[in-house]
Amino acid sequence: MKQRLSRVLYFIAFSAAVSSCNQSDPEPKGDFAKGVFVVNEGNFSQNNGAISFLKRENTTAEADIFSKVNGSALTGGVQGYAATGEYGVILVDNSNAGMDKIEFVNAYTFQKQGTIGAPDIENPREVVVAGNRAYVSCWGSYTSDYSSGYIAVVDITTRKVTKKIPIAGGPENLVFTTGKLFVGTVSYGEGKTLYVIDTNAETVTKTIALDATPTPIGLDANGKLWVGAGIKTMKIDPTSYAVETTLPIGTDANKIAGNFALTNDLKSIVFTLSYFDANFVSHGETYKFGINDTQISLATPLIRRMFTGLAVDPAQGLIYAGVTPSYAQAGYAIRYRADGSVVDSVKVNVAPTGFFFQ
Amino acid sequence: MKNGKAPGQKASQETCQIIRATPLSEEKQRACYYPENTQVIFVKRILITAVIAAGTFLPAITHAQTDSISLQPVNIKGFVPEKFMSGLKVQRIDSASLLAFQFQNISDLLAIQTPVSFNKYGPGQLTTAFFRGTSANHTAVLWNGLNINSPTLGQTDFSTIPVAGFDALSIQYGSAASIVGTDAVGGSILLNSAAGENGFKVLLGQQVESFHNHQTQVAARYGSALRNNWRISGKTSLYDNRMNNQFPYRQRREYALLPSEAFQRGLVQDIFISGKNNQEISAHAWITSNKLTTSPADTAGRELTLTKAYRAMLRYSVGDFTARAAWVRDIIDYAKGNYRQLDHAVTDKFSNRIEKDFDFILNQNGSNISMKAGAEWTHYRTRVPGYETPVITENRGDFFLLTRWQVNAPLVVSVNLRQALVTGYNPPFTPSLGAEYQLIELPGYKLKIKSSVARSYRVPTLNERYWKVLGDPNIRPENGWNKEAGIEQAFVISPKSQLDVSVTAYHNRIKDWTYWNPVKNYRIENLQQVLARGVEIQAGWRGSIDVTQLGTNITYAYNKSIQERAYDAYSVDVIGKQLRFVPLYTAGLSTFAQYRNTKLTGQLQFAGKRYTTFDNSTFLKEYALLHLLAETSVSFGKVYLRVQGQINNVTNTFYLSVQNNALPGRSFAINLIAAFDSKTKQARVRQDEF
Repeated sequence: MKQRLSRVLYFIAFSAAVSSCNQSDPEPKGDFAKGVFVVNEGNFSQNNGAISFLKRENTTAEADIFSKVNGSALTGGVQGYAATGEYGVILVDNSNAGMDKIEFVNAYTFQKQGTIGAPDIENPREVVVAGNRAYVSCWGSYTSDYSSGYIAVVDITTRKVTKKIPIAGGPENLVFTTGKLFVGTVSYGEGKTLYVIDTNAETVTKTIALDATPTPIGLDANGKLWVGAGIKTMKIDPTSYAVETTLPIGTDANKIAGNFALTNDLKSIVFTLSYFDANFVSHGETYKFGINDTQISLATPLIRRMFTGLAVDPAQGLIYAGVTPSYAQAGYAIRYRADGSVVDSVKVNVAPTGFFFQ
Repeated sequence: MKNGKAPGQKASQETCQIIRATPLSEEKQRACYYPENTQVIFVKRILITAVIAAGTFLPAITHAQTDSISLQPVNIKGFVPEKFMSGLKVQRIDSASLLAFQFQNISDLLAIQTPVSFNKYGPGQLTTAFFRGTSANHTAVLWNGLNINSPTLGQTDFSTIPVAGFDALSIQYGSAASIVGTDAVGGSILLNSAAGENGFKVLLGQQVESFHNHQTQVAARYGSALRNNWRISGKTSLYDNRMNNQFPYRQRREYALLPSEAFQRGLVQDIFISGKNNQEISAHAWITSNKLTTSPADTAGRELTLTKAYRAMLRYSVGDFTARAAWVRDIIDYAKGNYRQLDHAVTDKFSNRIEKDFDFILNQNGSNISMKAGAEWTHYRTRVPGYETPVITENRGDFFLLTRWQVNAPLVVSVNLRQALVTGYNPPFTPSLGAEYQLIELPGYKLKIKSSVARSYRVPTLNERYWKVLGDPNIRPENGWNKEAGIEQAFVISPKSQLDVSVTAYHNRIKDWTYWNPVKNYRIENLQQVLARGVEIQAGWRGSIDVTQLGTNITYAYNKSIQERAYDAYSVDVIGKQLRFVPLYTAGLSTFAQYRNTKLTGQLQFAGKRYTTFDNSTFLKEYALLHLLAETSVSFGKVYLRVQGQINNVTNTFYLSVQNNALPGRSFAINLIAAFDSKTKQARVRQDEF
């Protein structure tokens, strides 16, 4: 009885603390209000992509939270997730034509809010949100030659595509900064142009020709844009578009640099460098360099393995890395400290490729 | 916040859908060498092997004067030597069941009447079988004794086999490699043609279904005596299925239905000529064409899969000697979007077989030994653009000696031996030993016990051996040992009521199980070892009250099928887990009541939970489907009419395809069969014998 009483008292005290917090700084409520969302691409032909959720303090993740909350699966590969405030946007790519979509969810409860399907959204790739807009890169319907790609501008409050901005070559990675959206393309599209979209005019206002397929990474602590292009990275001034620094990533053109992510202090970039052996088996390592480095050293990898996804938690600075043992079993999210030492390994869904921190 | 996502995955997945099945442009092939997953999709492409035809209804006419419910095909000269399968479980589907499923797909019938479970992509789309806890590669499908699994994939797409395409159907459970050859690891499905009687019969059938689907069947069966005691009979049937699948809804419970249309056509031709000196010549042809289009309205993303199969067979037997020559050509065309680039794959299979029977009578008590010695030689010639060279040829040979020893009246023992030979290497020597013993034989109760031990093997598919880079010409054949034991009981409850119950337990371990290893970019490897164990219970009751006939069949199976061998660090998550797509439980119930010419049938199909990942982290939920059929028939002289109505998925059950798409809800069908029989004198033709 005494124990029960003390529990009640704790509960009251805790509630009071929570409500006092609410008064000063309203905390969002919901099972998924705070934590890490793992984007699992799934097995493309099985349409079993999912989002898993991991609280930072936990060592296990909740699998497929969309199904858990809404009673139905996302039915496609999950290509991306982003949220602002209570608005969450999930990109779903089905293996069959005409069945791709965006699912809108409440970012805190993951309750389904609405859907936009084809032909507004076709082969969605990446999403960023800014204000009440989501920008979704889409390959379009003709994926054979990537000729019909576009950026879908989505009003996340009305859940409507308000504009499609054509981008050829398979639009892929996106970086948003005030008034501007930088758009890279996928290497299979063989585009070598970095597009700059004026998000007020919603038109392409600048194209930057490069000698390799561009992958915009983000803006560093000094407000400079970093872009991966083939086996090098470049620092570009986001206003003048001048290339200020070019850092080669080794000299082996057979290697593929990818999964670039800025660290939480925005002063370093982590990435994977991989290659395929004669039997087309992938090998590789994970490296790190500073934004003021004059060269990228490949002498000592940060982590001696490669991943299918890489991101850094802005809150804690831990590196989240996705491991895909195969497309027919659940993958893992491995957490590393900034120095590359392992924290833990958490089972998630099939093919973890991205992370969203809330 | 930035999420760190690998950009290349989908690109490779998207462009690689057609890998392994169809040619790719150089650029696409390059993209395809990135890790992706193509297994299911490529199966879909090559697998959709056309198999269509019509004609089941006709043998039934020949039985119009008999009274039995379970009918044997008229002429069994032994396309498949079932008599050497003692100790193994063989289930013959009676002609009444075949007739009830006249306009259905074979998978619809097997899902209710057998423990075989099926993975469906959608109506009219890829349907693969999972038999006794094995994979889609481990069920042999034999047409008149010839394995018609796709040589490139080693599987059959059951969506392309309508029940109307054959005259008789048997299901053989467990490994029968010593008799059937490769692929018969989980079991085999035996489709046979049957010769008819003298006279002329013609049949027209038409079915109209929900979703603007239509089916038409035309068939003729004929037989006539010739000079000098020779006789000819034959069957010609044509078949046309149009599944437009115009669903009135786009989704069910938030899950989309995949738009698709499937058009199937087939021609079956059988000729039997028999004469003096116990000679028989038979010729068989089965030509089929399937055209499947998914997302047909989406001109940029639609996918077309055209599969054609030409199958021809010539058999000659005189006395104890039989020779057979067969040719099968499988053609697969695949295209996407504007269809300008058609990927074209052709595989020819030439097969010759000779066999001779020997019979030895040991004593006057019925003790005897039957033996069959034979050899088979098969030549493959395939042109699949994804292969190492433009044309691949392979030869396979088989020698077999089958022995059935009737020791005494209750005891039968079979010893079967087979050695297969394949270009480059040889599969293991494959023996089997089986026995059946009639333990109790009373007027009201019969009990038979049976057991079998058999080695099985599966010759790697042409894809597994010859796919550029990912295939391996030296991949080892899978091999396993299957042990099983069972009882069969018959209870005669009353003169008008009989119950049959069989229980079988099996233990099947398969080694060198091949695996398109995703860790090595889907290179083929002999990685896995699988142990499949289970129990099957089947029961059937037939009875009658006055002129009302009643019957019920129940089938239940428990299949525990696990991966035993670790092959990388993360396979720890997979060991001991139930195999993907193999349900732990399946069950089926079929029950009917027939009053004069009117019959009501209820069918219940239960599919257990199926895991979709090797670590069992995701699954498709279990579901049960209820179907109701009502039919009545009437005869005017030589003309017979039957009308049948069906309600499929009566309870509007929600269930999903393996691609996470919704499958359709309740649907309706009505069909009419009109038959003319030149020999029928009586005006009434009983429904269950038709």
